[in-house]
Amino acid sequence: MVGPPDEPRLLLSALPPDRAQRRLAVTVALSLVVALVAAAPFAARPTSGTESLLPAYSAAVLVNELITAALLIAMFSVQRSRGLLVLAVAYLFSGLMVVPWGLTFPGVFSATGLLDAGLQSTATLAAARRIGLPLLLLVYAVMKVQGVAAHNPSNPIRGTILATVATTLAVVCAFTLLAVWGNALLPRWMADTRNVSAAWHYVPPLAIALCLVAAAVLLWTRRLSLLDHWLLIVLLSSVIEIVLLAYLSGGSRFSIGWWAGRAYGLAASSVVLLVLLSETVQLYARLARSLLAERRTREARLAILEALSASIAHEVNQPLGSMVTNADAALRWLDKPSPDLEEARLALRRITNDGHRAGKVIESVRTMFKKQRQERVALDLNRLIDHVLKRSMANAELEHVTVQTAYDPNLPSITGQPVQLQQVVANLITNALDAMRPSRDRACRLTVTTGPGGPGSVMVSIEDSGEGLSGDIKQRIFEPFFTTKPEGMGMGLLFCRAIVERHGGRLWVDDGATQGAIFRFTLPADDEATATIKSEEGS
Amino acid sequence: MTQEAESVAATVVVIDDDPSIRESLQSLLRSVGHKVRLFESTQHFLLGEATQAADCLVLDVRLPGQSGLEFQRELTKAGLVVPIVFITGHGDIPMSVAAMKAGAVEFLTKPFRDQDLLDAVQRGIALERGRRAALDELAELRQRFATLSPREREVMALVCAGQMNKQIAGALQLSEITVKVHRGKVMRKMQARTLPDLVRIADRLGVAAPKA
Repeated sequence: MVGPPDEPRLLLSALPPDRAQRRLAVTVALSLVVALVAAAPFAARPTSGTESLLPAYSAAVLVNELITAALLIAMFSVQRSRGLLVLAVAYLFSGLMVVPWGLTFPGVFSATGLLDAGLQSTATLAAARRIGLPLLLLVYAVMKVQGVAAHNPSNPIRGTILATVATTLAVVCAFTLLAVWGNALLPRWMADTRNVSAAWHYVPPLAIALCLVAAAVLLWTRRLSLLDHWLLIVLLSSVIEIVLLAYLSGGSRFSIGWWAGRAYGLAASSVVLLVLLSETVQLYARLARSLLAERRTREARLAILEALSASIAHEVNQPLGSMVTNADAALRWLDKPSPDLEEARLALRRITNDGHRAGKVIESVRTMFKKQRQERVALDLNRLIDHVLKRSMANAELEHVTVQTAYDPNLPSITGQPVQLQQVVANLITNALDAMRPSRDRACRLTVTTGPGGPGSVMVSIEDSGEGLSGDIKQRIFEPFFTTKPEGMGMGLLFCRAIVERHGGRLWVDDGATQGAIFRFTLPADDEATATIKSEEGS
Repeated sequence: MTQEAESVAATVVVIDDDPSIRESLQSLLRSVGHKVRLFESTQHFLLGEATQAADCLVLDVRLPGQSGLEFQRELTKAGLVVPIVFITGHGDIPMSVAAMKAGAVEFLTKPFRDQDLLDAVQRGIALERGRRAALDELAELRQRFATLSPREREVMALVCAGQMNKQIAGALQLSEITVKVHRGKVMRKMQARTLPDLVRIADRLGVAAPKA
């Protein structure tokens, strides 16, 4: 079984929109339509001298779409959902195509356009862009329906991104070359530099159809994320743009309707960017809040631990101090020129009493923990681990870590204290994530495996792909107060081992096959565990 | 062993709420020849007459009711100066600094080395004895000063202010011979052998020359 047990509901591409966000999207959609109706009567009126605005327009679209693509790629590298990569390609392609389109536009940089463009070059590029974007959005929608979201973790993420960007760039270059040099082969889209011919009339309906199909597929998935909602707005905006450009403007360049269409194009290119940016800021604030909360709980836990250990230390130190002083006194009585045996005997008797007293302190601490032992229940370790993993998933995602699980479906149940065992698993997972933090550039992988662990016991392995443990650290890692973390107490693994051993199991660490470390623990499978508890309670 | 001979009859008071610690300290202190009085709290100590007899206090910082440090402050405020050796189960640095600043002899963390405690107690006793000796000496000097006549006191003050016999005679309107006689009596009654001796005594008694 590969992949996260459940998609984390933290990132934009997975987050369901709340009511306010949905209402905002509907409002934007309605105002787009209203603006279209308002612009319609003037659409066919031509303008003059507005060619000079086109470079500025192209630059704005280019920058918007490149930033959007970059943000989507960043999201892909975190979330590894192929759908996001397709979206990023859509924006990258659309943004890059604007460059040759603007350069070759007749009457903008030169009368016939730069790059030795012919009459049909610009229209060819426009057609490719016009059809390419909805086509890629359709691919995204289809992928979403099929649920093939996850990226294969064996492919290095950086390579995938580089290959995708390079391919997109190559395709754009190929289109440009075709448009510039293959002028003779191109369909006759344009009658002159301003007006389209009959051949063009196939392009807008095709583009509109693709937009509508993509929107329909998206709507059909029913599990629309926040991002999907805004993609619908983009599609609507694109449709309006085409309607204005192709029909209301009468197919004439630089008319009012044509420019209005361009405005919709700009809106379409900005919507996702704005949403991504605003959501990123909000997400960041939410993250900061949850981090603070986590730190507070951690501090509270530390404070309790500190108070507990201080009071135990005091209780034990008291008889200890008394014993040392009594022993010193006894030695002094014996070392006298005429040894005072009676005084020495009294001092020694007090030492005996103090020893018993210290023993009682330890005993009372033990009984405090023993009480919890009675709360043991039969447990399915797979479910317990899955539960803990789900809670740690958000962290893992943000740390760029791929989580792999291999649960043994025939795993026998065990008997134990659920909260304590959850703590063990959570602790080991946190350690694994921490261990991989320095090597974030590599593909980081956390592997959790359950299976049989020798006769009558089960084994859980938690493997990371971090730096691994040097011999010295490996020797000392279970010692109290030994830690490699700047804020660590050096108690986590000690507690883990204590809990596992109290359950009749073992906890140890092995080197990973190629890199990293594997923490393994065994627990007695059910029948045996109950027997152990009974024999312990009897003694 | 010389230490034991020195500390004969010194009384050490131990205040600790833990009976076991109390008894162990008693045994240790008695083994080197100290007299030991045990109290379980500062209140019990203040109720008894041991406040006067104590040469040194061994005090637990963490006591029920009043803490050792509060007790130390209270004693200082009441003008009861007894050297204190603090012992504690878990001493932190700020606590020990506070105690030492307030004049504690030593601040020991349990379990401590017996020699450290005995040395500290010994230092406390020496301090207390030195202080008592100084007090006794002062009382003796006061007694001697009381035997001087008013005229002799005037002469003593002027002599110690560094005036010559002639000047003193002028100031008190006496003959120089008479001043010399008074001066001889002062030296004898105050048991001062030299003029610097007398000046030192005057200094300790706080005798000052009347304003001319």
